[in-house]
Amino acid sequence: MKKIRTVIIDDEAPAREIIKHYLKDLDSIEIIAECADGFCGLKSISFMKPDLVFLDIQMPRLTGIELVEVLTEKPVIIFITAYDQFALKAFELNAVDYLLKPFPKIRFLDAVNKAIDKIRSGTENLEPANQLLAKKPEPASPINRVVVRKGNSINLIPIEQIKYVEAQDDYVMIYHSSGKALKQQTMKYYEDNLPVADFVRIHRSYIVSVHEINRIEPYGKDNHVAILHSGDKLPVSRSGYKHLKEELNF
Amino acid sequence: MKHPVLNNRVRLIVWWLVWLFLASGQTLLFYYAFGKFAKISIPDTILSLIIYSGIALSLWYPFSYFNKEGTKPISLITNLVASGAISITLWMVLTKSIMLLVLPEQNNYREYWDATFPYRIGTGVFIYGLIVLSYYLFISLINLSEKKAKEARLESLVKETELKMLRSQINPHFLFNSLNSVSSLTITDPEKARDMVIKLSEFMRYALSKKDEQPVSLRSEFENLKLYLDIEKVRFGDKLFTEDHIDENCLETKIPAMLLQPLYENAIKHGVYESIELVKIITQVKIIDGHVEITISNNYDSGPSSKKGTGTGLLNVARRLELYYGNKASINTTKENGIYTVTLYIPTDYF
Repeated sequence: MKKIRTVIIDDEAPAREIIKHYLKDLDSIEIIAECADGFCGLKSISFMKPDLVFLDIQMPRLTGIELVEVLTEKPVIIFITAYDQFALKAFELNAVDYLLKPFPKIRFLDAVNKAIDKIRSGTENLEPANQLLAKKPEPASPINRVVVRKGNSINLIPIEQIKYVEAQDDYVMIYHSSGKALKQQTMKYYEDNLPVADFVRIHRSYIVSVHEINRIEPYGKDNHVAILHSGDKLPVSRSGYKHLKEELNF
Repeated sequence: MKHPVLNNRVRLIVWWLVWLFLASGQTLLFYYAFGKFAKISIPDTILSLIIYSGIALSLWYPFSYFNKEGTKPISLITNLVASGAISITLWMVLTKSIMLLVLPEQNNYREYWDATFPYRIGTGVFIYGLIVLSYYLFISLINLSEKKAKEARLESLVKETELKMLRSQINPHFLFNSLNSVSSLTITDPEKARDMVIKLSEFMRYALSKKDEQPVSLRSEFENLKLYLDIEKVRFGDKLFTEDHIDENCLETKIPAMLLQPLYENAIKHGVYESIELVKIITQVKIIDGHVEITISNNYDSGPSSKKGTGTGLLNVARRLELYYGNKASINTTKENGIYTVTLYIPTDYF
């Protein structure tokens, strides 16, 4: 049978060592790459197209979560992290399992077997994910950057550069100071994770940075339109107008 | 409440001096007004004021009783007027009876008594007023100082609680990642694993034992920080490099325990966690004008980080400095050419 091609991504050498050690006895697994940061990990996955990835979350350059967000073809992923706060997010990203450091070998093998099942048969055991989803998520701290992919290059957009976010079916278009970028994510995600002091959802399809608003004018009977410094005009719904009023105190 | 006069020798002397003053006043007054009764007026005055003084001393007990919390002003006034009337009546009856007993010229005394009667009432009310005033002044002073002491106690309690909260907690991320490293090292390098467990234990012992707010020497603080950095070096290997320039003369200076820990945690978090380059943490400690200057700097990746820091670590250190040293210590930070520097000034002989 074909071996399962595996990549290990963790910024701490001892953490990679123990995974390698646990995998040594498994003939079905072949380690094809190791990485100590997110960029390296993204490159390895993009070029080598592994079947399975062990992925740490807190890493320099690109976090494990951000890395998965920009992958177009997702391999089977086992998240490995020291702290529980990302677990829920990991499952939203279709991770087959996640391990909390330090983990016992039996728990590790259990995760690997789940991954092998998924790779070989395409079926999946959703039990741990459902358990986690039943847990109440911790209030996330606001994000500080958005990672987008443009062709082969990866851009980190600091949120200060984001002008507005527009809903486009299953995607969002992020307009920023040096262009625009499409990303597969929900408006809800940005509404929840952008700092509330800087961004307001003015419409079902628009979240705007309050710093970009030049003026707000009435439009039609009881709608408004926000005119940005750039000249762009965005519709403001009635509830959006209420949010703006609260945020900007007018 | 204790009796304000009887329990204090100085106050007792002052008390009698005031009565002597009152007595001479009354004697002079009566002498000039009713000159012919000089022989009577002097002993009468002395006796009457001794009696009044005795009554006045005992008035303290009903007064401190009247003053119980929650007494309505109207009942307080009624009580005071009633006890005043009783005291003055008692005083006059006692004075008159005793004088009539001891004085041979009884008819003269009756005449004198009738002549001075309105003045006596006046004096009685005046003195009663003085007593009420001085007792209540005393009571309110006591209450004020008690209130102040209570406030001071409360304030120090609040401060203590706040200090406890501000003391840096061990970061769970650090703990679990370190334990994971140990778990890995037990297989690849058991010797190193044991070393790491010992260091981690020592670090934890230090962090956990500093529950009280006793200051520690810079020497032990830096020894502990070295443990912390050594543990991080096991995790991150060559990526983390530290360099110390510490003036030996500073090492006995006392500072609050675990004060510097959050600053190094920040250096690791924003430096090592976010960078793929070598991160150098440089510590400099020297004495300048009776202050220890501690400078901690690290390089960092200038790209946008995944999460913005909340600034809690730095704020906590600043707040602790303020609570401990008032305005005698300070903390500054600068960001220049990819180097983050935090500088603390702490008085050398504060504790």
